[in-house]
Amino acid sequence: MVMKTRSVKKTRILADAATYILLSIFSLIILLPVIWIIRLSFTTKYIAYQVPPVWFFKPILDNYRSLFIDYGFERFFFNSIVVAIVATVIAIPLAFFAAYAFNRFNTGGRSLQFGILGLQMLPPIVLSIPIFVLMKTMNLLNTRGGLIASYLSFNLPFLIWMLMGFLDGIPRELEEAAMIDGASRLQSVIRIVFPLATPGVMAAGILSFILCWNEFLFALMLTAEKTSTVPIALAAMQTERGVMLGTLAAAMCFAIIPMLVLSIAIQKYMIRGLTFGALK
Amino acid sequence: MTIEKLNKRAGIFFFLPAGIVIIGIIVYPLLFSLVTSFTSYGFLNPFFNQFLWFENYGTIFHDIYFWNSLWVIFKFVFVVVTLEFLLGFSVALLLNRKIKGKGIFYTILTIPMVMAPVAVALIWRVFLHPELGIANYFLSLFKIRPVNWLGSSKVAFWTVVMVDIWQQVSFMILILLAGLVSLPSDPYEAAAIDGASTIQRFLYITLPLMKPVIVVAVLLRTIFGFRTFDLVYILTRGGPGVTTDVMSYYIYRRTFMGLSLAESSAASYILLLINMIVVVFLYRALRMQREVE
Repeated sequence: MVMKTRSVKKTRILADAATYILLSIFSLIILLPVIWIIRLSFTTKYIAYQVPPVWFFKPILDNYRSLFIDYGFERFFFNSIVVAIVATVIAIPLAFFAAYAFNRFNTGGRSLQFGILGLQMLPPIVLSIPIFVLMKTMNLLNTRGGLIASYLSFNLPFLIWMLMGFLDGIPRELEEAAMIDGASRLQSVIRIVFPLATPGVMAAGILSFILCWNEFLFALMLTAEKTSTVPIALAAMQTERGVMLGTLAAAMCFAIIPMLVLSIAIQKYMIRGLTFGALK
Repeated sequence: MTIEKLNKRAGIFFFLPAGIVIIGIIVYPLLFSLVTSFTSYGFLNPFFNQFLWFENYGTIFHDIYFWNSLWVIFKFVFVVVTLEFLLGFSVALLLNRKIKGKGIFYTILTIPMVMAPVAVALIWRVFLHPELGIANYFLSLFKIRPVNWLGSSKVAFWTVVMVDIWQQVSFMILILLAGLVSLPSDPYEAAAIDGASTIQRFLYITLPLMKPVIVVAVLLRTIFGFRTFDLVYILTRGGPGVTTDVMSYYIYRRTFMGLSLAESSAASYILLLINMIVVVFLYRALRMQREVE
């Protein structure tokens, strides 16, 4: 018996060691490319192109300086922030009310709710082409407003489904009590339900912000030069002849790192976000 | 007025603002595109004056590049979803073991999920550059000859597959891990008493119990796989030749290079139809899950 528990223990330790090794290799595969790009953003042109690579060098900030001075990157950064924030802030109250209707009154029944989930599942190319044509006829091409409107097409259905899940956890009794005390339904939703749902709304809002920030196809079709967002600027830098690798890397850091910071804040809600609240 | 009627009214009142926006920015463009696909509407001729029935669809069905893009996207989705599932499930099983430092691995896994696909594609482009990239340098350490990652028609497709896996395998891991964590413990305790082996426990307990989560994860990845555009746009632009010309990219270049809006609308509706079939399966899976709950 003693022999047996010892051998069980041994296999346990071996299995744990194997698990750590495999997970570490896996994590390295994910981390290395990101670290490599961060490294590149601090190198001179000479070091950036050196093969085999030099691991130790004096980091410089020239790439970041050139990004703003030569490429005017702050404009794209600003566009991305404005578009992502405004599209999210417009969508949240609309989505919250719709989610409330679905959750409390089953408005439109299952078919409407699943229909809206279906809209979220559309391949963007299907929607972006007619939106491009319609924006063109309305002279909204190359405007931030047009891009923001087009972003509602994916973040509104997304937010509705996310918030529906959060509303499940808020008991009806609270708003009913407020209504007995003389508040209207709209008042009780705004004053009681919405504040209770704040953590969920914040998480959903951050996910919506990330979706908008990373979006490429709509921005590619609907914006140009002055109204471009960060992903479009990245794609344009890459095609330019004689692109400076370090500057491109610096631009990528600007595109990626804010999202990494945000993702840590909403880690708890990641699964809901990835599955539109289908899994919790 | 009855309470039921009042509730119904309140529901409509709360849904209406979102409903109007959805009709304006999603439903109307979709209908516009549907009508366009039956007419001769184009950038040069922006009128609905000619109703062509299914002529545009016929043109698309006679386009060898359409069939190529259909084949490429099906092959792509099949390969990435299968590999991401197998790899993702293995890593999820590892992460489900009782080990320390799980939080660190979990954080690292969420990194690719929140990165812009454009940035991911660019990082790999820098990595895979034939002469200046670090990937071929690593290969040379193992005496492997440099690979033309994006320029060779035999390799480019698999390069895009690899980059997609790098970014999206986390999606599978996170969802499957969430499923594994929430499995009930009693079946495992019963199996331990019966002396079931690890493999038996996996085959007869874990897999059947995980089936609903697996189905949802695989279907969601399939739906997102059919969207693939950004990676191809940055990495290969559909090339070399048309070896990575996925359907979204095919429709995009038909719209803006072929300038035939009506025909590309028809093509996009074919993609929509394929997408809807997968979505119907997803609905069934989600409904089943709700009933189980």
